[in-house]
Amino acid sequence: MSVTAEPYATAAGLVERSAAAYVSGVPEHPADDGFFGPASVTWKISGDLAGPIAGLRSLLMQALHPLAMAGVDQHSGWREDPVGRLAATSAYVTTVSFGERAAAERAAARVRRIHTRVSGVDPVTGRRYEASDPALLLWVHAALVESALAVRRLFGPAIGPADADRYVAEMVVAAELVGVPAARVPASVAELDRYLESVRPELRRTPAASESMAYLLDPPGLDAEVAEIWQDIRYGAVVALPEWAREMYGYEAPPLTAGRREEIRQVLGVLDAVFLGEPGVLEARQRIAARMRAARA
Amino acid sequence: MNRWRLVAGGVAGAAGAAAAVVVLRRGGNPRLRQNLRLRRGVAALLLVARGGARYAGSAHKLFAAAGEHRQRLRNDLALQTAEDVATTLGTMKGVLMKLGQMASYVDDGLSPGVRRTLSRLQDSVPPMSAELAAQVVAEELGGPPDQVFARWDPDPIAAASIGQVHRAITRDGRAVAVKVQYPGIAETIAADLGNVALLRRMLRITAPSQDVDALLAELRERVLEELDYRREADNQRLFARYYAGHPTILVPAIVDELSTRRVVTSELADGARFAELAGWSQAERDLAAETIYRFVFRSLYELHAFNGDPHPGNYLFHGGGRVTFLDFGLVRRFTADELEPLMQMARYLCVEHDPEEFRRNLVKAGFLRADAPLSTDQVIEHMAVFYDTVRESRPLTMTGDYSSAVVRRFFDMRSPVTTYAQIPRSYVILQRINLGLFGLLGELIATANWRAIAEEIWPFVLGPPTTPMGEAEAAWRKARGPAR
Repeated sequence: MSVTAEPYATAAGLVERSAAAYVSGVPEHPADDGFFGPASVTWKISGDLAGPIAGLRSLLMQALHPLAMAGVDQHSGWREDPVGRLAATSAYVTTVSFGERAAAERAAARVRRIHTRVSGVDPVTGRRYEASDPALLLWVHAALVESALAVRRLFGPAIGPADADRYVAEMVVAAELVGVPAARVPASVAELDRYLESVRPELRRTPAASESMAYLLDPPGLDAEVAEIWQDIRYGAVVALPEWAREMYGYEAPPLTAGRREEIRQVLGVLDAVFLGEPGVLEARQRIAARMRAARA
Repeated sequence: MNRWRLVAGGVAGAAGAAAAVVVLRRGGNPRLRQNLRLRRGVAALLLVARGGARYAGSAHKLFAAAGEHRQRLRNDLALQTAEDVATTLGTMKGVLMKLGQMASYVDDGLSPGVRRTLSRLQDSVPPMSAELAAQVVAEELGGPPDQVFARWDPDPIAAASIGQVHRAITRDGRAVAVKVQYPGIAETIAADLGNVALLRRMLRITAPSQDVDALLAELRERVLEELDYRREADNQRLFARYYAGHPTILVPAIVDELSTRRVVTSELADGARFAELAGWSQAERDLAAETIYRFVFRSLYELHAFNGDPHPGNYLFHGGGRVTFLDFGLVRRFTADELEPLMQMARYLCVEHDPEEFRRNLVKAGFLRADAPLSTDQVIEHMAVFYDTVRESRPLTMTGDYSSAVVRRFFDMRSPVTTYAQIPRSYVILQRINLGLFGLLGELIATANWRAIAEEIWPFVLGPPTTPMGEAEAAWRKARGPAR
């Protein structure tokens, strides 16, 4: 079953390192509003409590592409330091979302540089892959954008269809930053759905995906109280998957009731409080909130 | 690090320390004691001179002065809509903040991580924007604040846990403090308190003897009470009525017609903040401590009510021992039956010196299991530390160090007594506040003969006045007639 025998490191420090990653991405005295800005739908969505669920759901989706999964599994140090890898991704996403343009561009250039060194053969399909392949990058991008919307629909305060379209359109630039030509990137919810539909035939659950996701759904070594909270995050991510993706993984999730949704938001609130207790998080949040409030006026 | 468990342990620990007390330097420093005697004469004069000086200035002067203490509130973060309130304080955060507030009175027993998380949570609450606060006032009082009041300061002067305080001048010319509740907060906190399973998870306690459900029930009830300002107004009226004319205890009057579920209006008071006392003479600090001590125990024994919020921000100091008590949001009222065993415990341990009767009352109150296979000596040895300041009649100095020692005693799981000890639900708040209170007195490094003062107040002793303040108080009591 297992492709590689490398053991996974524990997930200890997940909260602390995610927090540090987040803080590093929120500038103190930004020279500009970055690629989105305080009036954007992106900022609104990125600030929601359900972020951890959206993040996990997005990883579950991304892992279903055998080539994307193989690239992560074979190159990124994922097994030796999964928490570090997740924190690096968080730092990147935060920098692109909230950082000034120069910072976002620097971070993206670094990612593109790393991608040029990532290539190989997927042991399951036998296909060659390159991490700089725009088709793979587009998949990763689309899975993230669609996950944010799906999780928002289930758990977040509702956003209207116009804002959902605006979010997809705003996020085009994020795909461009890592090297996808803008013309290929879905710019509305309808385009996004069509794109996802078109990729479906390529998706499947490889052993690497099974293993990685089993790890993520039940990370060993978490602090006890975070581990309990994680059960709800896991449920939230799985229930928010499209049914076909759940079937591919063989996961089952009882349907989300209104009461369960409320409980999950409460649990997310507790996790958020723990997160706020980490150094610098409150200040970073306040920097963002102040700019968003000012932009409303 | 197990954050939420430790939070729970902190809450319970505070709750469990019965009548925690702070003693470091028995007898105090002789020179200090002499000074105290000398200054007592001065203090007595100040007390007599107090008279009607309570609100000396005109309303407008007071209005201006109270604003000087305006806290630095981040206006750029101001909550502009009910949705902002929900984002900031909904989904358990308001509840955690309240629990944190309760836990924060204990300086010990919380890990740095927990304390950081909880204090950050409190820091994370910005004020309402002027417009949002005005909207709540309009909904509650039937008109925008600049019409309901003769003058209204749109900038809050202080943050309250689920609201903020504005100063204003009423149409009939009184300077007032108006506490305005965040819109929607009562509903969201009430809903979050409904998730008992999650709260229980957060409060799970390692000590087998502690009853999480009882603790949770008490905390839920107290927090729910705080959500309705009418209850707070009732409490404040009770205290204000009882202490009317008291020589050193001041309780601002409620303005009935401007107080509702989400707005509570009371007379504005101005005075030195707790932090400023650091620069005052020790004699002044001793007098302030004496007033707080008298307030707490008189309220308990005569009003059967305990003002449960010993937060330093809830006092204003005026010199000569005069203290204004603010914020009656967390008041626990006791029935005579609930109070009786507490009284008997103090009586049998400290006055009658009857250990078996002390133990019997300990069991009766529910602090100790009846079948605990312990010798009474063991029980006394464990519990007596909580009564240290009132066991012997002599001057004692309260210090901060000892309050930590008391908490540690409570957490001492090696003691055989701990296995059979528990905190009955009715006393959860009382015990927690006791710790907070003595923590405050400890910060003042206050010296007094606490036992002698306690004897003045204990219903089973009702001793004669032992200090100038006691004499002034006795005169007040004589003039006011029987309590309640």
